[in-house]
Amino acid sequence: MFSLFQFLRSTVFTKIVMAVTGLMIVGFLAGHLLGNLLMFSGPEKINAYAFGLKSLGPILWIVRLTLISALGLHVWSSIKLSNRNRAARPIAYQEKKSLKSTFASRTMMYSGLAILFFVIYHLLHYTFGLIQPQTYFDNSYTLKSGEVVHNVFNMVVAGFQNPFIALSYLFAIIFVSAHISHSVSSASRTLGIHNPKYLALTSRIGRALAAIFLIGYLSIPIAVFSGIIKPACDNTEACAAMKDCCK
Amino acid sequence: MNLQLKVWRQQNANTKGNFTDYTLNEISPDMSFLEMLDVLNEQLLGCGQDPVAFDHDCREGICGSCSMMINGKPHGPENMTTTCQLHMRKFNDGDNIVIEPWRASAFPVIKDLAVNRSAFDRIIQAGGFISVNTGNAQDGNTLPIPKPDADAAMDAAACIGCGACVAACKNASAMLFTAAKIAHLGYLPQGQPERHKRVLRMVHQMDSEGFGNCTNTLDCEAACPKGISADNIAKLNQDYLKAKLRGISA
Repeated sequence: MFSLFQFLRSTVFTKIVMAVTGLMIVGFLAGHLLGNLLMFSGPEKINAYAFGLKSLGPILWIVRLTLISALGLHVWSSIKLSNRNRAARPIAYQEKKSLKSTFASRTMMYSGLAILFFVIYHLLHYTFGLIQPQTYFDNSYTLKSGEVVHNVFNMVVAGFQNPFIALSYLFAIIFVSAHISHSVSSASRTLGIHNPKYLALTSRIGRALAAIFLIGYLSIPIAVFSGIIKPACDNTEACAAMKDCCK
Repeated sequence: MNLQLKVWRQQNANTKGNFTDYTLNEISPDMSFLEMLDVLNEQLLGCGQDPVAFDHDCREGICGSCSMMINGKPHGPENMTTTCQLHMRKFNDGDNIVIEPWRASAFPVIKDLAVNRSAFDRIIQAGGFISVNTGNAQDGNTLPIPKPDADAAMDAAACIGCGACVAACKNASAMLFTAAKIAHLGYLPQGQPERHKRVLRMVHQMDSEGFGNCTNTLDCEAACPKGISADNIAKLNQDYLKAKLRGISA
């Protein structure tokens, strides 16, 4: 038991928790991006997809709870480790050069904190509908199968037609991308991959994912804001309040 | 060469330190950095002032004593070089040079630029050794070691324990030092019997000393005067995980 206790307390273990939960979140981000890109195939596809997700019932909740726990543990370990790190150097250098480290790797705590606030905001916005309630609650769509579902497509369009919201997402996505660029190689090292060839590969994968997430996630607010994606035409007030409705 | 120095002066671990400016004239570009500091100290002694305390021993780049932060880089601007092997020709006439001690709570300042690196000794004492009975050494050729392993062990064993990795790390982490000490035994057959206990004990000691943790930014390997690779840290992590999965206790 003493050994297990020591394991739980060690920084190496805390880093392993950080790495495993971080990789789970990277996996989620990849899936979330694929789903989000359905915005480009029109309201029918993405509304049916969103409806499909919500109909998963218990499975959806298992996934949600897993992700929330992963995020919680990721945040917990980052707090624990960064407190330690601050205590390890109480007096800062007058002059300190960065040698090989990337800007993203040195600022993980800041990008992480920004992402945490964004996640809360993002959930309030598109999951709980509290940021723009008028486009969230009064917004339904009839699928070809006749099912009346939540109009996710118009909700997203209404969100990104607002320049402030579009801009806030732009910044958030830049933070996510910076965070991801260091994540894969760092997690791989923490999990014990030490062959130089594989390490080089993991750092390429991390950078590639950062670029894919940046372009992929940004493409949606840009497409909406520039009018490439227009709201789906229906007779609701929510649609009438939007730019380019039924044009 | 004429130089402007900004040197950290601190009486002892319990007092607050501060920077003091010094001007040095007619420094030869062929001097080592430590010889330049010797000239400064001669000058200070001549004026009846307290000389700047700094650690030095071999002055040939292998003892790891001459630890100081020079213009924001451990051991100064030249890569893979200790302070004693750094020459003044790497600087320009009229340069301002900021000289600070290693800054880490695990390395308390003894005086001025000299810090107490006993924490490293305690990490070694926790497991950085092999237990063998004394007697005649056996013939080396009876222990076949693959060439890549021998090379990797030798590379890790080049660590001189200077603390530049801790100094360069934004978290003041001692992972590169600890990893190098674990790897140079872990690659060799003699290191195997205690391999798992070693990693658990040394990591435990490292944590107890109050060093930060590794965020894999790799500034340590860039600062290391012996060029030790941070891949050793990943190997430490793997060894640690394996030891734990096997249920081995420290």
